[in-house]
Amino acid sequence: MKRMADLEEIRRGYEDWRKAKENWAERRESFHTDAGIPVKDLYTPLDTEGIDYLEDIGFPGQPPYTRGVYPTMYRGRLWTIRMFSGHGTPEETNQRWKMLYEEGETGFSAAVDSLTFAGVDPDQEVHGAAHEVGKEGVPLYSIRGVEAMVENLPIDRMSVALVVEPLTSAAITSMYFNVAKKRGLRKEQLAGTTQNDILTMTIGYIPWGSLKPADLLKLACDLIEYCTAMGEAPRWNPINFTTYNYREGGIDAVQEIGMGLANAVAHIDELLRRGWKIDDFVHRLAFHLSAHRDFFEEIAKYRAARKLWYRLMKERYRPENPDAYRFRFHVQTAGCSLTAQQPMVNIVRTAYQALEAVLGGCQSLHTNSFDEAICLPTEDAVRLAVRTQEVLQEETGVANVIDPMAGSYYVESLTRELEERIWEYFQQIEEMGGVVEALNTGWLFGEMSKAFNKRRRDQESGDEKVIGVNCYVLEGEEPTPPFRTNPRAADIERERLQDLRRERDNQKVGKLLDQLRKVCEARENVLPVVSELTAAGATLGEITSVYREVWGIWQLPFVA
Amino acid sequence: MMEKKIRVLLFKPGLDGHWRGIMTVSKALSEAGMESIFFGFKTVEGVVEAAIQEDVDVIGFSVHSGAHLEWAQELVRMLEEKGVRGDFLLLVGGVFPEEDHNELRRIGMDGVFGPGTVTGDIVAFIREKLGRVEVG
Repeated sequence: MKRMADLEEIRRGYEDWRKAKENWAERRESFHTDAGIPVKDLYTPLDTEGIDYLEDIGFPGQPPYTRGVYPTMYRGRLWTIRMFSGHGTPEETNQRWKMLYEEGETGFSAAVDSLTFAGVDPDQEVHGAAHEVGKEGVPLYSIRGVEAMVENLPIDRMSVALVVEPLTSAAITSMYFNVAKKRGLRKEQLAGTTQNDILTMTIGYIPWGSLKPADLLKLACDLIEYCTAMGEAPRWNPINFTTYNYREGGIDAVQEIGMGLANAVAHIDELLRRGWKIDDFVHRLAFHLSAHRDFFEEIAKYRAARKLWYRLMKERYRPENPDAYRFRFHVQTAGCSLTAQQPMVNIVRTAYQALEAVLGGCQSLHTNSFDEAICLPTEDAVRLAVRTQEVLQEETGVANVIDPMAGSYYVESLTRELEERIWEYFQQIEEMGGVVEALNTGWLFGEMSKAFNKRRRDQESGDEKVIGVNCYVLEGEEPTPPFRTNPRAADIERERLQDLRRERDNQKVGKLLDQLRKVCEARENVLPVVSELTAAGATLGEITSVYREVWGIWQLPFVA
Repeated sequence: MMEKKIRVLLFKPGLDGHWRGIMTVSKALSEAGMESIFFGFKTVEGVVEAAIQEDVDVIGFSVHSGAHLEWAQELVRMLEEKGVRGDFLLLVGGVFPEEDHNELRRIGMDGVFGPGTVTGDIVAFIREKLGRVEVG
């Protein structure tokens, strides 16, 4: 048998190699990852020393899940092509969804407008809300909006992600369940996800009139409790910790996952405090991660995140259900990496980022359209974004093997390094009292603002290259023809609400709103009464107004 | 010659929660020696009142909601109503199509800054238009 070199021999070889290249200049003094981890020139078995294959890497579908959460991964089932999409009116969004379905999309995801996000009706005189109807996403102000959005779509066979946060998650999710009921489906049959992420609303995208962190946490946990612990919608993912949204603010991969874990722990602990057992709900917690600029670091991030989730479960909560140890995640390619300049370059960026997600073992994926640094995507742009995933699935062969990056000295070493750094960051948040406390003190937002100010400086100094912006600039570019949302959307939606208010039983709605007020005061689960409310035709604004009235609006600690 | 610091009032109109851009600009203007007041969410009326009260030189806002034309119109209308239309340099930034830049200027925006703007350009623009350089 051939004798294999031992580590000592490799070490000597490595030193000899370094000496031999001493006079070869490098193009930079030092190299580091996006998260600031130093990158050596070469990785060898010396860098994976101490990594035990069985204990640290293992097999797909088995602890510690580094190689993937399912035993067959994409050989069994390809990832879901799930495009985040919505604009104008629910009817127009429905048309776009049908087009995407025909183009091969295998899951839906509703992008809502700023009113739906903030829980405001277009006829409420709040902050000129009507200007923004349908502009950033689909307007969903009542059950009628949701009904029109999913009309004639196979929601019993395809999963739908409702991208709304705790402020409106009970209302929008119950509208969806009530629509399904009207179509003769039981909510037990429905597969889907509500984003329901408190950090999105407090450090990622902070809408007008957000609630206090503790109240958002309460609402988020209400939905988990109702869907999963109480068994009302057992196939539904009642939360999707959306680290993507914080990452878009400029933080790095370590902070992204560290904040995500701390966020998950806050919810788990709250549900345990309510008297549930870990196995009543934890298997349904899911994540939504970013695919950012640093190719290998992102792949290592997904691997480290799976491993850390396993560790968190095993060390702290010890659930019996094996599914609870599987870190399931959706990925969105990084919107903030796109440029309005030379927008076709975004196709290339997005393709590389999609490849990261796939090599990292995501369960579903959104690919950005090339015009998204300018406007909502045109049909042609979004079709191309779907095709980007289809090329990966059908032509590249990358889905034919599980976790092909395993065993790369660099990726394994980076996975270990990230794992350590993420855990440390997560512990730091824990030590200051968890995410709610870190939000109340403004610490978490401070992390965000430090990060986005640093990125701005790095991009303006040219340390962080952005093609078309600070290098390879093209003068005299032709502007990209933008997609325009329906200019009549505000009128259409106001009419929809007028009709609804005329046709519904207003007395019943009034009584139920009083009941909701009492439920909020007693801090009971809002879902049962909110479900009745949305079925009776209560609007989003009517429901969230009760929350705001009872609990008050959050005074953001970082705005002086 | 000592001159008073340039005072800038920045805000987010409407409900849209994309804050990163305007907070970045606010920080950059402060670093350039200006007095930058970031209001967070504010109604257009509230902003115009505050701008008069605080005696600012510049009003700037950021739109990622696609409603940039509407917000620009509303701001100009409110300034006219209060009779202070010519008193402030008006800036708008955010994510919107380049083909809308001229329309925004026609509505009355002095400075229009789309995605990829270098904050130094905003600083230079303000100094040039106001014809002064602040002394920190």
